[in-house]
Amino acid sequence: MSLVNHRRTLLPETFSSGLNLNALRRHPAGNILIIFTLLEIICIIAAIGYPDQFRYLSPLNIQSVLRAIPQLGIIAVGVGILMIAGEYDLSVGATFTLSALSMANLFNSGTPLGLAVAGGLLTGLIVGAINGLITLKAKIPSFITTLGMMMLLRGFILFSSGTQTRPFHPGSFFETMMTGSAGLIQFSFIWLLLVTLAAYLLMDHHRLGNHIYAVGGNREAATSIGVKVFRVKLSAFIIAGGAAALSGMISTVRVSSVSPIQGQGLELQAIAACVIGGISLYGGKGSMIGVFLGSALLYNIQDILLLLRAPGFYLDAFIGAIILVAATLNRLIQKEP
Amino acid sequence: MPQIDSEFIGESNLIELRGITKKFANVVALDHVDFEIRANEVLGLLGDNGAGKSTLVKIISGVLATDEGAVFQAGRQVNLSSHADAAKLGIETIYQDAALVNSLSIYRNMFLGREQTAAFGFLRRQSMKKKTMEILASSVQISGVVSPDQIVGGLSGGQRQAVAIARAVHFRKKMLLLDEPTSALSVRETENVLDYMLQLKRDGVSCVFVTHNLYQAYRVCDRFVVLSHGRKVQDVIKNDTSIEELTAVIVQR
Repeated sequence: MSLVNHRRTLLPETFSSGLNLNALRRHPAGNILIIFTLLEIICIIAAIGYPDQFRYLSPLNIQSVLRAIPQLGIIAVGVGILMIAGEYDLSVGATFTLSALSMANLFNSGTPLGLAVAGGLLTGLIVGAINGLITLKAKIPSFITTLGMMMLLRGFILFSSGTQTRPFHPGSFFETMMTGSAGLIQFSFIWLLLVTLAAYLLMDHHRLGNHIYAVGGNREAATSIGVKVFRVKLSAFIIAGGAAALSGMISTVRVSSVSPIQGQGLELQAIAACVIGGISLYGGKGSMIGVFLGSALLYNIQDILLLLRAPGFYLDAFIGAIILVAATLNRLIQKEP
Repeated sequence: MPQIDSEFIGESNLIELRGITKKFANVVALDHVDFEIRANEVLGLLGDNGAGKSTLVKIISGVLATDEGAVFQAGRQVNLSSHADAAKLGIETIYQDAALVNSLSIYRNMFLGREQTAAFGFLRRQSMKKKTMEILASSVQISGVVSPDQIVGGLSGGQRQAVAIARAVHFRKKMLLLDEPTSALSVRETENVLDYMLQLKRDGVSCVFVTHNLYQAYRVCDRFVVLSHGRKVQDVIKNDTSIEELTAVIVQR
């Protein structure tokens, strides 16, 4: 730190942002972006070289991948925002089902579709708000609060609707809007892109996003500078609940029914997608593009294994290995000065 | 030894605390302490560990409420029971680990809680980035900071302190409380922080330098307040004392 010449050092490079591999790697989503791109390049080359053995680029495969990603992706965006705020939500899988069930039950009992959808979304927002209120007011770790909420909701779902699958046929316009397709483009994937974009704008271009990073990154600093920690964290809980509801409703439209066991395991997959995408387990760090790529990578690898005709039990093992590698990599990167 | 008495009330006081008492269970952390910050001074708040320095800093920064005592500014009694109150009175506290979010960039820290926003709360990022570089170039001078997008966690301890100080100065604080600002710094960075304090005094910002390093305090401070077991045992201007005398006051009892 010298007091001379500082003006010169401050000047020209300030706003340059050329492509720089080191800078990219320092970005929270940099590593996942590099890994994802490499994987895609390898797969595309392999698919062009062996189009019959490795049908990666077949329209059917592309469609099925694009259809599969949004369910996890939309949940993971909400969970990622909450993790950046320094909290967890293990109840998103159950919220996913409960919201879809609320929507289907409302619609099947004669409520107009728009209100039924609003009811489903509201269910998710309310569950998120309750999670947040209990966690923040009673000062319980959110891991515990939302674990309790997950089991409570699962029990409630089974109690209220048994093990039966509920049909949901909202009509073709709505179905097309949520889960239709035009050529290779899947509308549910467009929803994921929109949700990711909205989340990116929130986290990087909005005041609330700045505060979410701050309360997760250094709660004391945020408090001492006057950031309303309670309000900010509560918002993040509500966002996570809302994202789970949205994903649940879109998935329900896709399969035209709600099953009580739908959504089980999504809570952990969402955290996995976030970790792979570079979200810190300690809060304050991560990016929405990373969460998107994390979700995409999870399904991509499943898809590749399926195309290679790997036995089913390999899938979980591979995903597990990826999570371990990703978490370790992120930890190592964080240690860098 | 000459005592500057606590009835000193004048235009030059930026804030005055009278009869401040704070108890934690049965422990009296502060016992009827009178304390004022004057215009254009660097004030050394000294004392051994457990003397009550941190408690007093927390009270002045609005983090802790007093059990007894009153706070005055410009002759009128004022409320000082929250961080927002302290901010309104023009007080900013810079803690050891600087109140910055390490995972955020410099500009996002600089404007944290006072973001410049356009409609619907969206950030005016370019404007904030530009302003950040202006602030860093003008108020406190830091080398090694080349971009407002640099992540604060990647800066050195001294650079972080400087960013925190620059933030306080920019938001027109009249008083800076620096709580052990040099304890985690290298020798060179310490020199810089000490220089900042003198520079801030020239710019009309008073600093309270909380430390138990008497030699650093003696270099930059104009006045010294010594706490011992929750009591103010010394309040003296530099010309009327010496390192030896201050040492004796601090270590006695």
